[in-house]
Amino acid sequence: MSRILVVEDDERIRQSMRLALEDEGYTVDDVGSGEDAVARFAADPAELVLIDLMLPGIDGFETCRTLRKQSTVPVIMVTARSDTHDVVAGLEAGADDYVTKPFVAKELAARIRALLRRSRPSDDDSAVLTFGDVTLEPEAGVVRRAGVEVHCTRTEFRLLCELASNPGKVLSREQLLERVWGYDYFGDGRLVDVHVRRLRTKVEPDPANPQFILTVRGMGYKLAA
Amino acid sequence: MTSTEVTTGTRPHHPTRLSSRLGLRARVTAAFGVGAFALSGMMAGITYFTARQSFISERQTAVQRQAFVNASLVQNSLRSPGTEVNQLLESVDTLPGSRSVLHYQGQWYATSVSVGQSTIPAPERNLVLGGTPASQLFSSGGSPQVVVGVPLPAVHAAYFEVFSLDELAGTLRTLAYALAAAALVTTLAGIAVGRWASGRALRPLGGITEAAVSIAGGQLDTRVEAGDDADLQDLASAFNRMAANLQARIEREARFTSDVSHELRSPLTTLSASVGVLEAHRGELDPRAQRALTLLDGDLHRFQRMVDDLLEISRFDAGSAELSLDLVDPVELVHHSVVATSPVGDDGRRVPVAFPVAVGAGVQGLHLEVDKRRFERVMANLVANASAYAGGVSRVVIDRVPTDTTVPASAVRVAVEDDGPGVPAVDRTRVFERFYRGGWSGQRATGDGTGLGLSLVAEHVRLHGGTVWIEETPSGGARFVIELPLSPSPTAEVPA
Repeated sequence: MSRILVVEDDERIRQSMRLALEDEGYTVDDVGSGEDAVARFAADPAELVLIDLMLPGIDGFETCRTLRKQSTVPVIMVTARSDTHDVVAGLEAGADDYVTKPFVAKELAARIRALLRRSRPSDDDSAVLTFGDVTLEPEAGVVRRAGVEVHCTRTEFRLLCELASNPGKVLSREQLLERVWGYDYFGDGRLVDVHVRRLRTKVEPDPANPQFILTVRGMGYKLAA
Repeated sequence: MTSTEVTTGTRPHHPTRLSSRLGLRARVTAAFGVGAFALSGMMAGITYFTARQSFISERQTAVQRQAFVNASLVQNSLRSPGTEVNQLLESVDTLPGSRSVLHYQGQWYATSVSVGQSTIPAPERNLVLGGTPASQLFSSGGSPQVVVGVPLPAVHAAYFEVFSLDELAGTLRTLAYALAAAALVTTLAGIAVGRWASGRALRPLGGITEAAVSIAGGQLDTRVEAGDDADLQDLASAFNRMAANLQARIEREARFTSDVSHELRSPLTTLSASVGVLEAHRGELDPRAQRALTLLDGDLHRFQRMVDDLLEISRFDAGSAELSLDLVDPVELVHHSVVATSPVGDDGRRVPVAFPVAVGAGVQGLHLEVDKRRFERVMANLVANASAYAGGVSRVVIDRVPTDTTVPASAVRVAVEDDGPGVPAVDRTRVFERFYRGGWSGQRATGDGTGLGLSLVAEHVRLHGGTVWIEETPSGGARFVIELPLSPSPTAEVPA
């Protein structure tokens, strides 16, 4: 059974989340602070981490960044605000997705399922993809730039694969949400925007003036053919 | 809210006097006009009477001089015996318009039938016949005359000359017209100057008016430029202080609403997750507990929506609502919005609410620039409203504006129709007010609305530069129409 680490300082919320997620069949580990989360993850890595943004001590953003340095584990941010600022900051810190409090347990479970499903190695199209000096090896889940391995989260990797396997073709945010995040309804386009921004810092020579991952205003994104 | 600040505000001023009813500018203009009129009228009057006086006295002097010359001529002639009096009078050389009258030996002689004894005013006559030379102005038959009388005691006679001032009166009339015209022109010039000067003086107020309109329109950070004018700096700084206080208070209240909504989210999260667990174990509960759980679940959702709606409203109130625009196909947008806002099923997928969607000619190929999340909320609220008051949506119609496809489209209309009892005309604006509950439908709502749904619809649509209104369908149901411009003029800043 998949193990989920819940990082939440509110004791009652933590307990209720544990109950709800255990009902969905997950093994739940919970901690009340960012420091504990980092220590617990180092000792016993979970398959997915839920992090509340508002934490005493090191906050959710910092906790997420720290975990990202060690692992590509899927991370879902839990925010009390759906304001653009918090959501974008959370995603920039390395989260794969976010949910807004109060969330519907069924919906959270669906997102967790989608993230866990795609975080497993894909068995289809395993051909090596290249653009510029970047090489993607889907089978190994490795991205190399000029021969040097670039660390990507699994979501970033899938997004890059999706773009790289359709060079020159414009992919809308909805298409990318569906294919990369596995959401069959209108997701939040900001997920795509922030992930593209993160990818650019990793594969573009000049992230401010991208050459490979191009924005098509009002339409979506495409990989330069 | 502190009461001291509120009670110091001035009461609305009820104008009672004319001066209050007229605008400041009109009053200044009128004052200039009246001033110019009085001044120019007075000047014209003085000029007229001075000129008249001088003209008349000049003419009188000339007539007198002539009369004395003629009188001595007549006296000399009368001394020589056998003089024919009428011939004598005819031979007297007079000024044009002048006629001679002679009283001689108890008889009156005149050079014209139009004059005679009766023409000469009695006081003048008596004075002269009494032996005193005299001159008098009088009016005969409506025309001004001057008469000069010279007694001729040596021959027991009196010589009069009657001089018509008609010509002079004509000149004076022309002068009067000219002066009146000048006075009128001056008055008009005064009004024009008054208007210009008051406009100039009030121009800074125009800036303040614009600022006030802008603040009333929601741009709370509007301030006026103080400029260098010392008289206006006080007003400008007072205005800016007021605007800053207003902004601070509105922001404080909006922040409070926002903080409350956020604080409510923690307990709501626990409640929501716990109710989710209970739902999963519903089968283990006895029927009474199941009914209680159903109620708990239903109102928990309502509570959540209320918190979300309050938070949304507080962003509009604080002016911090931002548009995150995407270019989308209207038909796809409506479909996605309906799916995205439908309830989540057991498998975590949405179960879309089913109703027909009619797409008008020429809608295909159009693209709207909208904030999808906001549009989803609009559709969700309209669908929820139809479910609560009208038994659900009967159909959704997407059309272009204008519907004539030969003309370029300017907007897209999305109409959400139902077969309910409709909304009475008087309530069609009020239903978009906050917490305005529809007593209008004649039936009570099912009770799971937040009272904020339609007001949020209006706010979301307005933020897109669009409009929303209610019509009646042919079957008497309600049709909520949203019109979004194709090239939007968003009222909020679009984040880059």
